[in-house]
Amino acid sequence: MLLRRIFQFFIIYILGISLLLGLKYVLNLSNYVIPAPIELFTTARDEFSRYFYEALDTLSVAVIGQVISVCLALFVGIVGRQTTWFGSFVKVAAYNFQAYPIVALAPIIFILLGDGFISRLLIAAMICYFPLLLSIIGIMSEPIKDIEHFYQITGRIRWQLEVKIRAFENLSKLTTVIAGSATLAMAGTIVAEFVAANDGIGYSIRIALYQSNLAKILVALFFIGISLSLYQGLLEWLGASIKKVWATL
Amino acid sequence: MKTLRRFLQKAAWSGLVTLCLTALLSTSSLAEPLNYRLKWLFNASVVGDIYADVHGYFTEAGLDITVKPGGPERDAIKELELGQASFGVASADQVIRALSKGAPVVVIAQIFQVNPLHWMYRTENMSITQLNDLKNKIIGVTFGGNDEIILRTLMAMGNISEEDATLFSVRYDYNPFYQRKVDLWPVYLNSQAVFLKKKMAENGEAVSFFNPADHGVQFVSNSVVTSRKMITEHPEVVNAFVTSLCKAWEAALTPDNMDKAIETLQQFDKDTALDVMTEQLEVTRRLIKPTPEMAIGTIDLKAWQQTAQIMADQKQTPSLISVTDAIIPLAK
Repeated sequence: MLLRRIFQFFIIYILGISLLLGLKYVLNLSNYVIPAPIELFTTARDEFSRYFYEALDTLSVAVIGQVISVCLALFVGIVGRQTTWFGSFVKVAAYNFQAYPIVALAPIIFILLGDGFISRLLIAAMICYFPLLLSIIGIMSEPIKDIEHFYQITGRIRWQLEVKIRAFENLSKLTTVIAGSATLAMAGTIVAEFVAANDGIGYSIRIALYQSNLAKILVALFFIGISLSLYQGLLEWLGASIKKVWATL
Repeated sequence: MKTLRRFLQKAAWSGLVTLCLTALLSTSSLAEPLNYRLKWLFNASVVGDIYADVHGYFTEAGLDITVKPGGPERDAIKELELGQASFGVASADQVIRALSKGAPVVVIAQIFQVNPLHWMYRTENMSITQLNDLKNKIIGVTFGGNDEIILRTLMAMGNISEEDATLFSVRYDYNPFYQRKVDLWPVYLNSQAVFLKKKMAENGEAVSFFNPADHGVQFVSNSVVTSRKMITEHPEVVNAFVTSLCKAWEAALTPDNMDKAIETLQQFDKDTALDVMTEQLEVTRRLIKPTPEMAIGTIDLKAWQQTAQIMADQKQTPSLISVTDAIIPLAK
């Protein structure tokens, strides 16, 4: 699964680079617009170690941000699944909060929390959180009538049991959503680094943009892609393992 | 005989049609819609560009120019090469980087004679009269930006190592300066500096500005660029463009035209207060036309050569780039 992900990423990356180089040679563009293969190679060689550690730094923030957003989405999803006034209030609050674009909120976060780790983490979690919440609310609001009916009749239904039943019955959906949200967590962290941080691969992309250095950006994209593929592959493997364990219970 | 006459008649008609078409095409090359990509958003720094557009300077010269705002994600030189723009504004570091990578770009006029990039500091705390005064200071810098190149050059000239001064990464949020976390903050003298100075004064704080040019660093700022293809194939269009643009700048910066220039600017920049805009325009005049006799658009070749040298010294280009071939002064 992991190897397949990496292999697929390589295909996409090579296709993307080939398309750019094709455009470069067809339109006779200079190395300023699209770098030559040799420049890409030398940039990759020169920046390898720096970008590798920066991508790792970004990935570590993305992972923590995703864990936070999964916990938050689970909490809001469980509370928001209720058809009570409070449940609907939580849902409305969550939806409204998401309506503000993160780039508009970023300066406020930046002023309040500075340009360090916490700002990056918060922005990553905020970007990753809402799609997760939508899926979790969807899953948690859908009763599994066949099973829940039995517990309701016998009077043994409690909210914890209800959540467990719905999570178990939708485990496949949940793991897919969580694995998919890794992309958002990574994108969120990069956005955070771009607007409000002095570390990570997003910050390096920002500097490369200032210098109109597409070669550096393409190398940075490679590191982002490869680390994301590894992380997603790992999440999918974890999801499959959990499913196997639950199936034996 | 009859056949020969018919042939001659046909040849004459074909010649006439070709002549008419050529005349038509040569006229349309002047009136062809062209894009002019600015370096930054609409503000006092581009007053001459929008003045040319609004007051018909381009139309008068037979040109159909659309002036487009720039921004951090825009790169006029790339747009020239991709055919998305015919003219643009780019900073010297952009031009030199592009030249080092083989971009067919040429500089046809230099807008700013004095680089607006300065560092602002509180006068109660310090006075920067010599480079040595930068020691033990926390200096704001946009890593990757041209202020970093300028600052590092100044530090090298003043024998100031990274241990002697702390470099602080800056963005558009000025809080670190307000909160006194940073001693010197990079600003554009004709834009942010005006309202920041006003804000600081309201707070009872006086500021001063550190100008790299006073310490020997002549780093060229914004210039008008076009592609080599454009200047080779349509020299008359390029000439008409530069002439009308410089004329418009001249008019926009004439003190007698101040109200008209402000009025023009207000159509595009709706967020800046009138008093701030007026001062921004005054400062812009000093940066673009430092002396009354200086023609707008004059290219300072020595400053360009020093900029290229700085870029090479700072390892921003793989070697020293010759800028002479890429500079075609057209401003009269």
